[in-house]
Amino acid sequence: MSTKLNGNRVDVEELIYQSCMLMDEKDFNGFLGLCDDGFEYVLTAYSWEVKKDMIFLDHSKKELKELFDLLPKHNTDRNPLTRNAVVYKVDYDDAKKQANVISTLQVYRTTQDGGRTGLFAVGKYHDTVSLKSGKPTLVKRHVKLDTRDLGCGHHIPF
Amino acid sequence: MSRNSTQWTQKPKLPSTHYSDPVIYSDPEIFEEEKEKIFKKTWLLASHESELPNPYDFRTYDHPGGTKLVIVRGEDMKIRTFINMCPHRGNLLVYEPSGNSKNLVCIFHQWAFNGKGECVDIPREKEGYQDRLCKNDVALREVRTETAFGGFVWVNLDDNCGPLKDYVAGALDYMLPELESEPLETFWYYQATLNTNWKLIHDTNSEFYHDYLHYHNRITGMLDPKSGYWTRRLKAFPNGHAQVGTMQAKYDAYEGGGHSKLGWPHLPDGWKLVDLYPCITLNLRNSVLRIDTYIPISATKMYYEFRALGLKSDTPEIRRQRQKDAAVIWSPWGRNLHEDLIASEGQTIAMAKGSESMYFIAAREEDAGCQDEVALRHYLGEWDKRMGRSHTNPLAKPAARTVAA
Ligand code: FES
Ligand SMILES: [Fe+2]
Repeated sequence: MSTKLNGNRVDVEELIYQSCMLMDEKDFNGFLGLCDDGFEYVLTAYSWEVKKDMIFLDHSKKELKELFDLLPKHNTDRNPLTRNAVVYKVDYDDAKKQANVISTLQVYRTTQDGGRTGLFAVGKYHDTVSLKSGKPTLVKRHVKLDTRDLGCGHHIPF
Repeated sequence: MSRNSTQWTQKPKLPSTHYSDPVIYSDPEIFEEEKEKIFKKTWLLASHESELPNPYDFRTYDHPGGTKLVIVRGEDMKIRTFINMCPHRGNLLVYEPSGNSKNLVCIFHQWAFNGKGECVDIPREKEGYQDRLCKNDVALREVRTETAFGGFVWVNLDDNCGPLKDYVAGALDYMLPELESEPLETFWYYQATLNTNWKLIHDTNSEFYHDYLHYHNRITGMLDPKSGYWTRRLKAFPNGHAQVGTMQAKYDAYEGGGHSKLGWPHLPDGWKLVDLYPCITLNLRNSVLRIDTYIPISATKMYYEFRALGLKSDTPEIRRQRQKDAAVIWSPWGRNLHEDLIASEGQTIAMAKGSESMYFIAAREEDAGCQDEVALRHYLGEWDKRMGRSHTNPLAKPAARTVAA
């Protein structure tokens, strides 16, 4: 582990937490601003019934932007989500100047009508973070969900 | 002018086939009767052969009639279904949704059963039962099972039911070339708990008038004069089934990512949909076959089962593309599916028992075009036949019971 890169742990954690806050605020441009140009977003859940990983979202940065831009055209659940991540593990890849970060994730949903909060999903973020410039950026986010029953689902990625 | 209570709750000036009493979507007693008269008497799609590809593989199924089932592939490769209950003291035989085990062994006292449902071991049998009870007396209860129409596993709890083919009554003929072109494989199976009545979901799957709900479908079909959207026809089949004619969707019009040109053997760029009574939809769109089945657990709650299938021969790249195509509209983040589900829950919230709900209108007639509600009416007609009740006056004494009395 490099001591030099190790110094970036706080910056790496802040990047993960900032990504959650911006998504909670539906500041999609802000979120995309944290992402590298080649950013990939994948969300999967393992089906115990058919013993396979199911890919529920699979987007490049451009496709993610299109998804965000089209949200106002859709009928959707407008109840806000709250993401709670805790960074568990940061592994540095000195050669690639990257960090591989694993965070646990809980997503809560609060109803606009009545303000009832319920746990919506649990899982983990598996993030690849570039440390090439002064400001860490997200190169890849793989959301691995434990929860598969998401009720009516949602239009906004975790 | 708005309406007062009497006006709001009076029967519509329409033929009785064209509306229903909302109580059929919320009444617990009606639901209990549906379990007996509908779910326990009809062929239901329980699994796909690819979910249990090898000898000794098993897969569970929560039958909507209220019975837990386990589907097993025997060493002879035949797929059989049994009630998932140990005949000793009634424990669940299998707890996991899928797995592989030469024998199904009950964890409680280790009675063991083979893939034919025969009891093959009772620990200390002679010591406890002497000659009063033996393995031959305690085989599992086998349930009528057929593997057909593209390798799906169908079950019927009624030992005296007719063959599956007679039940389907030609409704799947139109999709057979695609279902049977080559072996299929389930790549998604997931459930969604919904607070809605199961019939409302089937209604949504039976008409396209609700494309006003879906931006994606408007832009890729309804608003594209070349898509064939308006020439699609709904066709009713015996036993409450229905199908929708094909069209060419213009996926390029939607920019949300995905929807490749991958297509499907015999259907390069099309869409075919068949609704089977009471709770099955086969929906082949572009490169993915989506199967909807539901496990109703009360009048207002159900587990919605979703499957997506591709071809068994898919390379990893093709399979990933199929998943991406499916995800655009049908995953828990799918553009369309989320919209369908919030609308179905909305209906159940608004039309709850005691809510002073109006009659539910299913009266669109458009020469069986895709925005006609003929399939809903056909579905309600089958409900009447099976329940011995009228969907416009469902709380009147059921006809069958009146005869029996
Ligand atoms: S309940 Fe299964 S062996 Fe006793
Ligand atoms: Fe829909």
